[in-house]
Amino acid sequence: MKLVLYSGGFPRENLLLDRALFKMVKNKSPLFSFIPSQSYESELDFVAYVKRYQRFGVGRFLHFPIDIPTDEALLDEVFRSDVIHLGGGNTFYFLKHLRKQGILSKLRTFVKNGGILTGLSAGAIMMTPSITTASFPTFDCDDNDENLKNLKALNLVSFEFFPHYKHTSRYIEEMKRYSLKIAVPLYACPDGSGIVVNEERVQFVGKVYSFERGNLYKTFL
Amino acid sequence: MVKTKDSFDYSPFEKVNGDHPLKKAVPNAFIEYGARKRHGGRVAFFNFALAREMGLLPSNHPDSLTVDLEKKILETFSLVIINEYDLMNNVHFPKEDILPNKYMATRYLQLQHPNKNGKTSGDGRSIWNGFLTHEGVTWDISSCGTGATCLSPATNIHKKFYQTGDPTVSYGCGYSEIDEGLSSLFFSEVLWRNNIETERVLGIIEFAKGISINIRAHRNLLRPSHFFRFLKLSDREGLKQITDYYIHRQKQNGDWKNIPSKKEYEFFLERVTESFAKTVAQFENEYIFCWLDWDGDNILMDGGIIDYGSVRQFGLFHHEYRYDDVERFSTTILEQKNKARCIIQSFAQATDYLQTGIKRKMNDFKTHPILKQFDEHFTYYKNKGLLYKIGFNLSEQEYLLKNCGKDIEEYKKSFTYFERAKSSQGKIEVPDGITCNAIYCMRDILRELPQLYLAKNRPLNVGEFIQVIRSSYATKNDLTLSSSRDRKIALFQFEYFYLLEKVSKFFKKSSRDIILNVMTRSSIINKYDRITGDSIINITRKVMKFRPKLKCDELYDLMRQFAGFQNFCPEKEKIITIKNSRQKKYIGGMLKIVREHREGL
Repeated sequence: MKLVLYSGGFPRENLLLDRALFKMVKNKSPLFSFIPSQSYESELDFVAYVKRYQRFGVGRFLHFPIDIPTDEALLDEVFRSDVIHLGGGNTFYFLKHLRKQGILSKLRTFVKNGGILTGLSAGAIMMTPSITTASFPTFDCDDNDENLKNLKALNLVSFEFFPHYKHTSRYIEEMKRYSLKIAVPLYACPDGSGIVVNEERVQFVGKVYSFERGNLYKTFL
Repeated sequence: MVKTKDSFDYSPFEKVNGDHPLKKAVPNAFIEYGARKRHGGRVAFFNFALAREMGLLPSNHPDSLTVDLEKKILETFSLVIINEYDLMNNVHFPKEDILPNKYMATRYLQLQHPNKNGKTSGDGRSIWNGFLTHEGVTWDISSCGTGATCLSPATNIHKKFYQTGDPTVSYGCGYSEIDEGLSSLFFSEVLWRNNIETERVLGIIEFAKGISINIRAHRNLLRPSHFFRFLKLSDREGLKQITDYYIHRQKQNGDWKNIPSKKEYEFFLERVTESFAKTVAQFENEYIFCWLDWDGDNILMDGGIIDYGSVRQFGLFHHEYRYDDVERFSTTILEQKNKARCIIQSFAQATDYLQTGIKRKMNDFKTHPILKQFDEHFTYYKNKGLLYKIGFNLSEQEYLLKNCGKDIEEYKKSFTYFERAKSSQGKIEVPDGITCNAIYCMRDILRELPQLYLAKNRPLNVGEFIQVIRSSYATKNDLTLSSSRDRKIALFQFEYFYLLEKVSKFFKKSSRDIILNVMTRSSIINKYDRITGDSIINITRKVMKFRPKLKCDELYDLMRQFAGFQNFCPEKEKIITIKNSRQKKYIGGMLKIVREHREGL
């Protein structure tokens, strides 16, 4: 299993994560597919995505919004990609449409067959067992306008992920409180940091804070 | 409404007082009306950015309606004319309500009028508020819904003057409605952001029962029909005055430069020709339906859109759509070019009349060299638009236009085959006219083809191509296999990639880099969601529902956000700054409508 979970931030802040990603890419002419969390204005995010990875020599990209009717021609090609990237945005809306279009199971198969799945913010949360971390803290959460009840996500890893984390007392309290409710660690990542999963190995890149059963552990020096 | 400690200078509003240089320059181009204050209005919308650009507001004015600003807007624009009915019936108005200056209702040709010579036609429910010069640019400002003038069709058909607001006549009563203002607002702001010339809505003043005054602005509000009226009436002096006035304004605004002093009229004819050729090419490329006819109404002299009543933008090339105007059907989108050509023929007649003093017959200008120029300009802009839609940047477009004319024509043939393919269902009735559904969505194929080509490293096969290009209007019958269509699919892709290859060779860049560049630009230019006339109608309805809760500043913000979403400029930056959940709900609702109607009329 090959995964990269980005928290957010500018491309230059994520260089180490990008390098880790390219170490896993074996194809000399890889195909990168971008699945935005929602199609509105996603063209601009797609263009930014293309520009970011063009610098690494990638020359093949697909833009695959999932909240509009999908073309079979595009769908087939997306799941033949080397890398599929799940974009950031509203996590609830994203999950609703991934589920509605039957993409979740396709993504699981893609990863199982050796495909590399990357995700930013909402896209990274999507790889974990549940998207509950998108619903708190109240001062920094996604609106559940979709009124989604089933928050189960891809469940590819045995931890939860909190993006755009700020190491302040109010965040710390919220993370500790939530970590008491779950059986797996909660990794909170400030922008520019993230997690790389390469088969059985989990690598923390940048400052990643781990919350387990109400306690805070730093994964870095 | 905002009460601010800062006080702003609103004195430029006082310059908009009915005075206008046209009055002196072309005395027979208008009728003057006295006016009085109209009470009970409130500012429903104000275009802060446009007002700053025009110099009505200082450059540091925020996007908010202060108490003082609303007062100033109402003082300047909330007015109603004192018309013939009022005078004949000695209708009494309080002295303090009567405004000191007079306002123009301009005369122009209108083919729906009983008198087709322009003797009785023109602004039927509008007046020109005035003009404003700021940073070297002069703007014209007019308002619709300011009372019934004697130039309306109703007055001339029924041979009587109407009281403003007379409920027995609709258009002739001199009022306009807020939904007209809103649909013009959303439509024009989207088109303007996409480099289509258009009038713009400066403000909307709302009264009880959905009545409104819709204020519009443009750098020059003259239409060809203003000129053609003098031509029809064989009034050479008037024609000379209005042409000289127009040339002067274009020069003054910096829109026309280096005008040869002894060949001003030739220059005028050439520039108008290029403007109209460019406009109709743009209309065809962008699927804009604007009812053009020989009278030169519904369009500005620079090809800008005015009067959004029957204007539409199609999602697909529904080239057989005709608007049903009760007494007659409109032109189709493809017939627009010939109507624009007719307008140019009339301008050729007009300039000849100005130069020789002899008014020759219109038929004598059928083979005038300017029409050849028109055709050349049209082809140039049509091709440029096609290349832009592929995703080529400006220098790539220029290289191809200059060096690869034949290749572009070959590509155009293939493109046109799919663009114009129509449903086997044939002609059908739609709520406001007739049409025949187009079955392919060119935006979709232009957006996805470069991506899929790079992914597959080969052109698309027939099945893949059809999956991408088929629209929701395509029936099973429309998509049945045919060897000729299969050949066209191969040919289309061949011509498309041939152009890319030409650019790659000339600019010494790899094919992959060129395709990548085209792919990113095309993904924005050919965005999945695009407004159509149908979506504007439904968005206006939706906004009308929100309206009781929507303040002027919020409506402005909503317009700005919405138009930003519909900006297809590949260089644009993301501007989403949705402020609160209510705005999110409104924008979400509007975008959903755009999506639902994206292939419609």
